Amino acid sequence: MGSTTNAEPAPYWNPYAAGFALGLVLLATYVLFGWGLGSSSAPTRLAVAAMDVVAPAYTEAHGYWGAYVAGGENPLQDWMVFEVIGVFFGGIVGAYSSGRMQMSPAVDKGPRIGSGTRLTAAFAGGIILGFAARLARGCTSGQALTGGAVLAVGSWAFMLAVFAGAYATAPFIRRLWR
Amino acid sequence: MTPFYAFDAFDYTTAMVLGTILGFFFGLVLEGSGFGKAENLINQFYGDDMRVFKVMFSAIVTAMVGMGILGGVGLMDLSAVSIPVTYLWPQIVGGLLLGVGFAVSGYCPGTAVVATGTGYVDGVMTLAGILAGSVAFGFVYPALEGFYVSGEMGNLQLTELMGLPWPVMALIVTLVAIGCFFGAEYVERWLAVRRDHAPPPEAPAVRNASLGAMVALALLGVLSLAVPTTTEAVAERDIDTIDALTLAQQIVEQPTEVYIVDLRSAEACVAERIQGALCLTEEDPDAAFLADMPATRTLVLYGEGDLVGVPASAQQYAGAVFALEGGYASFTQAVLEAPTPPANPTPEAVATYRLTSELHGYFTGTASKAPPIQARPKAVERKVKKGGGC
Repeated sequence: MGSTTNAEPAPYWNPYAAGFALGLVLLATYVLFGWGLGSSSAPTRLAVAAMDVVAPAYTEAHGYWGAYVAGGENPLQDWMVFEVIGVFFGGIVGAYSSGRMQMSPAVDKGPRIGSGTRLTAAFAGGIILGFAARLARGCTSGQALTGGAVLAVGSWAFMLAVFAGAYATAPFIRRLWR
Repeated sequence: MTPFYAFDAFDYTTAMVLGTILGFFFGLVLEGSGFGKAENLINQFYGDDMRVFKVMFSAIVTAMVGMGILGGVGLMDLSAVSIPVTYLWPQIVGGLLLGVGFAVSGYCPGTAVVATGTGYVDGVMTLAGILAGSVAFGFVYPALEGFYVSGEMGNLQLTELMGLPWPVMALIVTLVAIGCFFGAEYVERWLAVRRDHAPPPEAPAVRNASLGAMVALALLGVLSLAVPTTTEAVAERDIDTIDALTLAQQIVEQPTEVYIVDLRSAEACVAERIQGALCLTEEDPDAAFLADMPATRTLVLYGEGDLVGVPASAQQYAGAVFALEGGYASFTQAVLEAPTPPANPTPEAVATYRLTSELHGYFTGTASKAPPIQARPKAVERKVKKGGGC
């Protein structure tokens, strides 16, 4: 664990009050734009932008990536990318102001594993997340939260599936966390 | 009328700035909820602290109820809100997989961004994995293409499925969520005793105030159904649509038979508009003048894209009213951009091409002779539906 700014970080927000606040941010997004919040499409766009630099012809002709770069469009010039940049800075300000900021790089892990195992698991889990978010056309933000709030049937099915998948996995990977 | 962006209330740059600000608050709340640290997320799946569930469902309920109220009193056009399209099977399989990734990495994509900002290397590694996983999906996509579009149900909402208006559905979801919150707290306490550790801190006063506010707003939403709205009045008259080519021909052949009104912002209209179109003015942004215009011509209205609604004054126009299909964007594409020769020169395609070439010449002043048609192999086009959301 790295050192924090204060010895005693501030307590977390009450979950219901935090949810109410998050709901107001989501509502404001819908009122202003007619769409909601998201997360996973920003890393996807970053990946497509990288692919477009490495293999432009292949990326443009690609059945999935092609639409992101059609007509010479910059995949990073997108509302969701700006929004996720905002998320990053919101996280920094929140962590810093509450004394939860890790001033030197930290690893959050279970007591029975080393940092190497934790980081490997984080990367492996990330791969599954990235793949799954594209398959489902969104993640916990863009589908579950955002689609859930507008009562989209597929988003609710997705949300239940996320909880089912995580609960089914947790007992098998206790060593990572407990 | 909201959503503002759908009604051209601000431009692209403003939209990006506002998006960054909204994201900032999104990140701030996620961090405050404790979601910048994997432990607080993973606790959900061992039953020790269910704040993921509590925060997420409180947020869903709040936004859902809020939109129900705004729609009910006519401040928000719920039909202009984007509803994620349901593709049931990839969403269920994707959801299950995302749950696996969530439990293994300890984060979901949004919280991994917050964890990175907080200084957790495991958050950085999760983000790196997400990048790799996105690339992997692209490589596997050709094999998954069929599955990716399976179980398509359009913009299906629970309201349609249950045959209930939005605010009523919102009230039901609110009450179910609150029942689940108390259930979750019960499980937390029960497991805490069994596992001999302290249950997560409770703040009944804050909880009751938050949940009370949600129920009160949900009830207000149901009451708002009784409020007569102008949206309903607008819906009474069906507005027919006219396509860009037909309108262009009309302008060329009988310009004095139509009034064309540009409903975009005055600024956009002054910069460029369809030939002969009237712009809105600062004094009359809702086009009230339409109600008093003599019904001697056909009225054609257009926005940037398809119109989501027409001004109340247009409802009162005594003559025929048409909305331009696809709006100014469609007109630009159909007439103002140089047409390309048809790849597959059937007589119909060639006739359309000749017509668009002529119209293009007329409206752009180039009036060039149509280039000869070249037979080209038919391009294989594949349209990919992108997930708008996350």
